[in-house]
Amino acid sequence: MMEERAAAAVAAAASSCRPLGSGAGPGPTGAALVSAPAPGPGPAAKGGGGGGGSPGPAAGPEPLSLPGILHFIQHEWARFEAEKARWEAERAELQAQVAFLQGERKGQENLKTDLVRRIKMLEYALKQERAKYHKLKFGTDLNQGEKKPELSEPVSNGPVESVTLENSPLVWKEGRQLLRQYLEEVGYTDTILDMRSKRVRALLGRSLELNGAPEPSEGGPRAPPAPGGLSGGESLLVKQIEEQIKRNAAGKDGRERLGGSVLEQIPFLQHCEDDDSDEDDELDGAQHRKQRVKLPSKALAPETEDEDEEDDSEDAISEFDFLGSGEDGEGPPDPRRCATEGAHHELESRRVKLQGILADLRDVDGLPPKVTGPPPGTPQPRPHEDVFIMDTIGGGEVSLGDLADLTVTNDNDLSCDLSDSKDAFKKTWNPKFTLRSHYDGIRSLAFHHSQSALLTASEDGTLKLWNLQKAVTAKKNAALDVEPIHAFRASTPAPMGSQRLQVPVALYPSVLSHVLEGHGDAVWGLAFSPASQRLASCSADGSVRIWDPSSSSPTCLCTFSTASDHGTPTSVAFTSTEPAHIVASFRSGDTVLYDLEAGSALLTLDSRGNSGPTQINQVVSHPSQPLTITAHDDRGIRFLDNRTGKSVHSMVAHLDAVTCLAVDPNGVFLMSGSHDCSLRLWSLDNKTCVQEITAHRKKHEEAIHAVACHPSKALIASAGADALAKVFV
Amino acid sequence: MVMAEGTAVLRQNRPGAKQYIQQNIRADCSNIDKILEPPEGQDEGVWNYEHLRQFCLELDGLAVKLQSECHPDTSHKTPKECPAIDYTRHTLDGAACFLNSSKYFPSRVSIKESSVAKLGSVCRRIYRIFSHAYFYHWQIFDDYENEIFLYHQFTKFVMKYNLMSKDNLIVPILEEVQNSGSGESEA
Repeated sequence: MMEERAAAAVAAAASSCRPLGSGAGPGPTGAALVSAPAPGPGPAAKGGGGGGGSPGPAAGPEPLSLPGILHFIQHEWARFEAEKARWEAERAELQAQVAFLQGERKGQENLKTDLVRRIKMLEYALKQERAKYHKLKFGTDLNQGEKKPELSEPVSNGPVESVTLENSPLVWKEGRQLLRQYLEEVGYTDTILDMRSKRVRALLGRSLELNGAPEPSEGGPRAPPAPGGLSGGESLLVKQIEEQIKRNAAGKDGRERLGGSVLEQIPFLQHCEDDDSDEDDELDGAQHRKQRVKLPSKALAPETEDEDEEDDSEDAISEFDFLGSGEDGEGPPDPRRCATEGAHHELESRRVKLQGILADLRDVDGLPPKVTGPPPGTPQPRPHEDVFIMDTIGGGEVSLGDLADLTVTNDNDLSCDLSDSKDAFKKTWNPKFTLRSHYDGIRSLAFHHSQSALLTASEDGTLKLWNLQKAVTAKKNAALDVEPIHAFRASTPAPMGSQRLQVPVALYPSVLSHVLEGHGDAVWGLAFSPASQRLASCSADGSVRIWDPSSSSPTCLCTFSTASDHGTPTSVAFTSTEPAHIVASFRSGDTVLYDLEAGSALLTLDSRGNSGPTQINQVVSHPSQPLTITAHDDRGIRFLDNRTGKSVHSMVAHLDAVTCLAVDPNGVFLMSGSHDCSLRLWSLDNKTCVQEITAHRKKHEEAIHAVACHPSKALIASAGADALAKVFV
Repeated sequence: MVMAEGTAVLRQNRPGAKQYIQQNIRADCSNIDKILEPPEGQDEGVWNYEHLRQFCLELDGLAVKLQSECHPDTSHKTPKECPAIDYTRHTLDGAACFLNSSKYFPSRVSIKESSVAKLGSVCRRIYRIFSHAYFYHWQIFDDYENEIFLYHQFTKFVMKYNLMSKDNLIVPILEEVQNSGSGESEA
């Protein structure tokens, strides 16, 4: 059994080696190999080609060598890996292409709408001219009367026109009647009209399939109607664009939609210039139609819109037969052309203008939407662009979740797998404000529990309260300087020459009005539990104290002296599931759960890890699960179960010490900040990184000191050693 | 992660101006000349800017001490002086916003010419805080001064870099400063 397998493996190896240097008869060699139970795999694999193969069968059954097998397996594996990498690259490439094409398509659709609008403008202009010409030629005043002079600037009225066009189809009825009259005058018999309408119907049916028009009148239905007098080049231009758009849409589901929408355009446009052939008479009618807003409404019984639309569209589309097949010399075109000789010059100039406009449009609108978010105030443009890109892609029509993930991948990040489950966590955070008013690094920050207010505490000895609501950003992603609405000056400003002052902030509903004396040294951490109205603090003097701040003279209710057991506590937090418990983390790497009612330590959580004790910089509690999360100096984050004390999960989170943590109040994600200047957001479901934001500059080897999540709004903030606080939405 | 602020961790070849100033102050806050002397190659605008930031930072401490004593309802001679503490707060807040704003000071390594001109006006306002403290809250002023010599530093600073004219320096505390020393401050 083993030998058979080995033989097959060797045969495969030989066959794969064959292309490398195959010379002599691979066929018979291969066959011989397959049949021979065990040609020497070593020489067969290494020899390569027929040379290696030939000694094979000649050698007969030889013992398989392990190195040979290993070599083969390695070779195969390398091949698979290479292929896999190629596939990945290709996939990424294709996804990028998809995104690009979509953008392009969007751009082209915009272009098309613009073109259509401009065409309408030009048609209108053309009609103006024809009306004038007609008036001059025939000396009659065709119902427009005084309205003509007002419409001397058709181009500028274009956009207005398109609006008015949509608004009163009723008046088009009158126009159509008039046009029919004129057509008859000119020589369009009804028979011709009918014939044309039939042809157009056929064309309409065909154009729905989006194939190349089989008829010479292909230009008609495919292109939005161009003014009759314009040359085929005009509509060709538009036609090409249409085709391009349709081609782009062809591969996608929106194909019918697009085709339908194009055709929707066509009937609509037919309305606006209904039967816009080169007839002056028709022009007058059209003009008349266009002025409907000002004309007294005639008492025409409005027929059903749909019928007319179809008739009109067919009729109008039929006009384009002439455009496409002008050379064919159908009867009607000639008299038409003669009639419009005089007006042709203006049309020429207008056509040139249109082409110019089209060229401009293509330059401007044809580009896919690019990422143009301006970099926020801090000099870190590139990483913020990553954030922007994710936002753009995420908002695209097709969910490019994987592509979005690709932009955030960090080579060094061992455990930062990017979540595919965008459904679970769709939000990407973008910088909104930069709060610059502190002179020195900001050590701590806290959000107001209900309002959009943030409190920051800095080494310069001040606390500043910021109103985030008032600051309205003028443009998306612009970082705004928000003025603090109040600056509390600390009662003990940072004393110089001594240890740095840590001013942790836990925001009360009311402004702090007491000074809690009791700690003998710097206070490292504070935590407040609104449920039990208790404040917990930990200090470098080796104790954790509990206070009741709401009483008139707050005193220390309870003290846990930890210096002997665990060392200096660095951070405290109330466990959300159990308000009578607090969890404290230590410089020694321990995390201890304390019971406030019992007044003693309950459990020491296993946070030391395998690599030995490392200082824990912050500990937070999960809002709904009995889970404690710790941030370590060894760049890792650990998740610990409060009940068992065991580590549930442990991961390397950053490139430098993890300094701070914050959990969002719904327990969906975790935010971590580190001295590597990055802010990372982790999904708590699968413990993977969903976003990385580079924020803050390094100062004295330190970057981010604190992060916070707003308890009720979608705001997160980070505080840095560069004296800036940043708010993200 | 325990690092005292401003300890000589020279990651770059040269410490930033701010760190340098703070180091010198920490070393000996009475050695004013050393504190005010820029290291070679230091851009003077940036030097002034950083010093001014430091002054505002330290003046916050004085403001805190004052606010315990200086209430609008405590005895002031004329109503005009009552909002002194408000003025102090406004000035310091305004200075903080101005000095930190990216509009006026987009970079910490070079200062725009237009912003340099405004430093003088900031100095004038800051000076009024000093003078109010001196004339109305002498004790606090004296204690604070002996602690960190802030006023001495400030006066020498503005004179050295000509940010204020000598006539404005009305606090009669330095021998070098010859002034009329009359009457009330312009709080």
